[in-house]
Amino acid sequence: MNKDMKILIVDDFSTMRRIIKNLLRDLGFTNTDEADDGQTALPKLEAGGFDFLVTDWNMPGMQGIDLLKAVRAHPDLKELPVLMVTAESKREQIIEAAQAGVNGYIVKPFTAATLKEKIDKIFERIETTA
Amino acid sequence: MENATRLDLASGFLEATQAGDDEKADEILAMIAAERESRLFEEIGKLTRQLHDTLSSVRIDSDLAGIAEHEIPDAKERLNFVIEKTEEAANRTMDAVEEILPLSETIRTRAGQLQQDWSRFQRREMDVSEFRKMGDELVDFLNELTVNSDKIHTGLNDILMAQDFQDLTGQVIRKVITVVQDVESSLVNLIRATGVSAAPKKQVSETEAEGPQLNAENKENVMNGQDDVDDLLSSLGF
Repeated sequence: MNKDMKILIVDDFSTMRRIIKNLLRDLGFTNTDEADDGQTALPKLEAGGFDFLVTDWNMPGMQGIDLLKAVRAHPDLKELPVLMVTAESKREQIIEAAQAGVNGYIVKPFTAATLKEKIDKIFERIETTA
Repeated sequence: MENATRLDLASGFLEATQAGDDEKADEILAMIAAERESRLFEEIGKLTRQLHDTLSSVRIDSDLAGIAEHEIPDAKERLNFVIEKTEEAANRTMDAVEEILPLSETIRTRAGQLQQDWSRFQRREMDVSEFRKMGDELVDFLNELTVNSDKIHTGLNDILMAQDFQDLTGQVIRKVITVVQDVESSLVNLIRATGVSAAPKKQVSETEAEGPQLNAENKENVMNGQDDVDDLLSSLGF
């Protein structure tokens, strides 16, 4: 896991994007970009250069679950690690995200420790299966 | 009045007219008219009752109209206000935090450095000029610490004050709850007046976004915290 990796933070609430950006910075990840919706995020991802996607679920234009599915269906993006950070917590939703290929799922409200733990886990797993 | 009686009246009228008995003819005519009148009154009575009922529901509608025209736009404005206020508070708080964290970091770093220097001094690994330098650094550090402590103190106060949103948003939300209750009772009255029965509850897709779940502990299919989520994912092989 490279601390310089480029991370896209997607959430329709600017305050949440700010929180995640700050937490990532505390963990040493300073190379971050933001999008306010799945719809604005997808073109950014397609333009390339991102190593990690952190996204909310509930967004007005394109929901996070649909962004995830679009990423997994895209030839250049299908291996992109995706972490969902969301208030959605129903069993069926978590199952759907898992089946759609999400790498990690954090429910809000969450702690800085949880964010670190899940990110570490995601990249640990990627490195062992690589 | 049955048709038989009508026929009787009709033939009676005919007879009386043919016989030139105007008084009798008039009497029979009056009886026929009376019958028609009572029917008419019955119909008018029915119509009046219907009109009354419609007017009552219209009155309820006008309550709803008032609610639609004033209270609901007002409620929407209030809820937007809540979003604005909470966003403002969050940003003010994060501004203060972003200012304080680097100060705290600086203090930690410099204190650590001085600790190391002091240890060297204690182990007699320091010469006089280094000792003098450490003395200067100590003075600098203490001056900087005083300044930074003030800034941190101010920042923490700013964070405290940023929480004032809760009181304002709380009041506003209470008002919106009142509006919702008004709408609820008006609608209930309208439903009772028009006899409309409730439509079956719309089936929500199992995975439709719902925002944060209230009462997660009491809902069977809702995860109650990160640990529950992790357990579920482990059970799926994650």
